[in-house]
Amino acid sequence: MPFLRHGSYRIRYELDGPANAPAYVLVNGLTQYAELWAAYRDALVARRFRVATFDLLGQGTSDKPALFISQNDQVAALALLIGELGDGPVFLSGISFGGLIALRYAITHGKRLSGLVPMSCFAELSPQLLLLGNAMRTGLILGGTSYLQDLLLPMNLSDQWLKPLLDKLDSVKRQGWLVNDVYALQNLMESFLDFEPLTPQLASIAVPTMILNGEFDFLTPRALHETLRVHIPNSSLVIIPRAYHAFTLEKPALTADLLARFAEDVLAGRWHGNKAVWIAPEEAGGVLEPFPPGYDHLRAIPTPRPTS
Amino acid sequence: MSGFFGPLDPGGRVPPRQQTRVATFLICAHGALARQFAFSLPTKLESAWQTELNAQLYRETEIISLLLRATSWVPDLAVGYMAAAWETAWLPAPIEGISDRTLAAATGLATLAHAVHAGIRPAALLPVEANADDPFVMALRRIEFESSRLLQAQIVFLKGVELAPFRDTVSAALERRHAEIGKLWAEALESVGITIHRAE
Repeated sequence: MPFLRHGSYRIRYELDGPANAPAYVLVNGLTQYAELWAAYRDALVARRFRVATFDLLGQGTSDKPALFISQNDQVAALALLIGELGDGPVFLSGISFGGLIALRYAITHGKRLSGLVPMSCFAELSPQLLLLGNAMRTGLILGGTSYLQDLLLPMNLSDQWLKPLLDKLDSVKRQGWLVNDVYALQNLMESFLDFEPLTPQLASIAVPTMILNGEFDFLTPRALHETLRVHIPNSSLVIIPRAYHAFTLEKPALTADLLARFAEDVLAGRWHGNKAVWIAPEEAGGVLEPFPPGYDHLRAIPTPRPTS
Repeated sequence: MSGFFGPLDPGGRVPPRQQTRVATFLICAHGALARQFAFSLPTKLESAWQTELNAQLYRETEIISLLLRATSWVPDLAVGYMAAAWETAWLPAPIEGISDRTLAAATGLATLAHAVHAGIRPAALLPVEANADDPFVMALRRIEFESSRLLQAQIVFLKGVELAPFRDTVSAALERRHAEIGKLWAEALESVGITIHRAE
């Protein structure tokens, strides 16, 4: 199990796939751990990508700073990992908290990237997200990791995914409960206490950017992704049908296919962001459709887009 | 070596030798905290925050009482020698670099309590087959849950305004405490056939 060293801390990482291939770096969400990308490793390696996964500081088998974890340290850890990949093309993707770390990296180290895929992501804390974050932190403090998982599972996954697992939820939660510690998750959450919106810096992200947002994402709804689409110049927003916040867990085949297609398009010079809005197919390999012209993609009901 | 207790008996109970070694470690650690909280607790409370000291003292005492009654004890000759080493590790250690001696002592106690409450996760050693109705199994789950609640007082104090000027000193002292306690915990577990990941 290889480790990188950031100061006195160790960061556990894994590299898979051919060493000279374009690389995908995948960044975990706040309560996740690197093994949750296993399906992505398999799918992307099969498409001739190298795949880098790791546990953020405070997660899994990386070191867990006892009192403070700064988001700058997470970006520094990510930079160390990307430094291990040589000079070839690097595509960076992250989900939720990991998407935020990916955005921060793209703002400060954008020239090193060939493409960026923020998923279920945000650049600022809306009042809803701020209050939900506070409630989740309180839930963690009062009820532990297991209670936080109980909150997140129904919020972030569909009925279709949950229904067959209803009598096995303890086993679904167990690995995350085992590898993540209350104090470390709390430190990760409290890295937002001095959070400043990234929105004013998004325009500096010049790299091709595909923003993925679940159709029914309740935790980070469409408006938060719209901020990314509007401010990142070479971006497109892709809406994942019938998906919630944690669609990377629920739809790995579709999401890995979208990641691979994006990188292939960028490398072939076919990618044009144009701040367009797309609807992803239901299944991997399907056709992306443009969002119907004239309708407002920020609404859940078909409402004509306001004319300016 | 496994990362969990075992092999369990047919009733899903943890082997008594593992119970004895782990319960002794936990009693030593939480006992040390109880003693130090007791010495810190004034007879007459003068500030609102001292109510937390009272709570910490009695929660620690509850944990010890619970373990004494829930553990299937067996004779363990090695545990006496190990306990002596453990006891020296959690002697009061005021934090160097904080000139106010009362604050330095309180910070030292808080780092020990943080390391025990955050870094020691006995319930994470239970395999899925552990019998949920067994008192030792329930005791470990309860101790881990209560520890995460007790921990909040240490987090609030160590991250608080009073210690803000000493942030690097406090962080370094806390990391050392975590490493010390984590090493002792890992060694205690390894002595009964359990291997856990720990930071180096």
